[in-house]
Amino acid sequence: MGFGNDARERLLKALAEQLKLPLLQIAREAELAHSNKDATALSSISYTADMALRLVDSYLLSVQLQALPMLELEPVSVSAMLQDTAHQLNALAKQYDCDLEVHLGGKYEPVMAHRQSLEAAFATLGYAFIEATPTAEQKHTIILGAHRSNKGLVTGIFGTQDGLNADMLRRGMALFGTAKQAVPSLAPSSGAGIFVADSLLKNMEAPLHLSRHNKLSGLAATLLPSQQLQLV
Amino acid sequence: MKILLIEPDKKLGDIYKRALVQAGHTVKWAAHAQDAVHSADDSKPDVIVLELQLASHNGIEFLYEFRSYAEWQTIPVILLTMVSPQSLNITREMMQAFGIVECLYKPATNLKQLVNAIEDLS
Repeated sequence: MGFGNDARERLLKALAEQLKLPLLQIAREAELAHSNKDATALSSISYTADMALRLVDSYLLSVQLQALPMLELEPVSVSAMLQDTAHQLNALAKQYDCDLEVHLGGKYEPVMAHRQSLEAAFATLGYAFIEATPTAEQKHTIILGAHRSNKGLVTGIFGTQDGLNADMLRRGMALFGTAKQAVPSLAPSSGAGIFVADSLLKNMEAPLHLSRHNKLSGLAATLLPSQQLQLV
Repeated sequence: MKILLIEPDKKLGDIYKRALVQAGHTVKWAAHAQDAVHSADDSKPDVIVLELQLASHNGIEFLYEFRSYAEWQTIPVILLTMVSPQSLNITREMMQAFGIVECLYKPATNLKQLVNAIEDLS
């Protein structure tokens, strides 16, 4: 379960690199707001700080849970979790000019998961996707979606990022914490959010993998429906 | 001055652009290397402010391509990057070859210092 010491150290390094971005955004935005006496910038500053804190918290949760002999899983509604995540990320998405949509292909039974880890993983992954949104004239859409597969409920975040493929993800997983840009097609930064999310999901034996949803590519975890898990 | 700002992060790009416009400059902002080449064609910049960590390409690849065009060989480049000075493997010879006049580490460079670095060129 989880990561070894070397991977944990690399995750910490990736996290430190990643945190430079929101802290820099806060520092420069505060500097500009101060020189312009612009109080409206405060909400943007506070939201950036919240997301950076969320990333740190998710990392700490992942490390703490790895130390436990066993995770206490409970039935969790994926639909409700994705709706909550979209709600939490909405303000950040607006700042990056992208739309967040929740796509559920049907009504799903609950999955067995560690609720806090699942919520933290998807908030952190969503943050990474939004931050990596290509800057362009047109709006981009990020989908929080789920669909059934023969292995379970594929739950993930999907977008229009170019070049996201299995080979790139495999290389990224091998390089994170050592390369400045482990997943350059997805994140111009260290991409720590992706690896923190993966670490949280690995604790539940549901690592991130490449997936497609409504012609978009993205990263997803395959979660076992609670009923199916009881039968196993 | 006409500045071509190449910055992949939307929030930072917006902040740097606003600060430079307030200082009296004209700024064209590109998030990708390819957009930057098109923008340079349209805007004929006096200076380029470049982050090395771009999506898909890195900034050095961009510079190789950019400098291959005869009309863009003399435009000065200021690196404004997240790559820390101890990790930045850029020699004096590379700086000369690419026309890099200044390397600024983003976390240690405030907006005023950035504006000063650009205005020192004029």
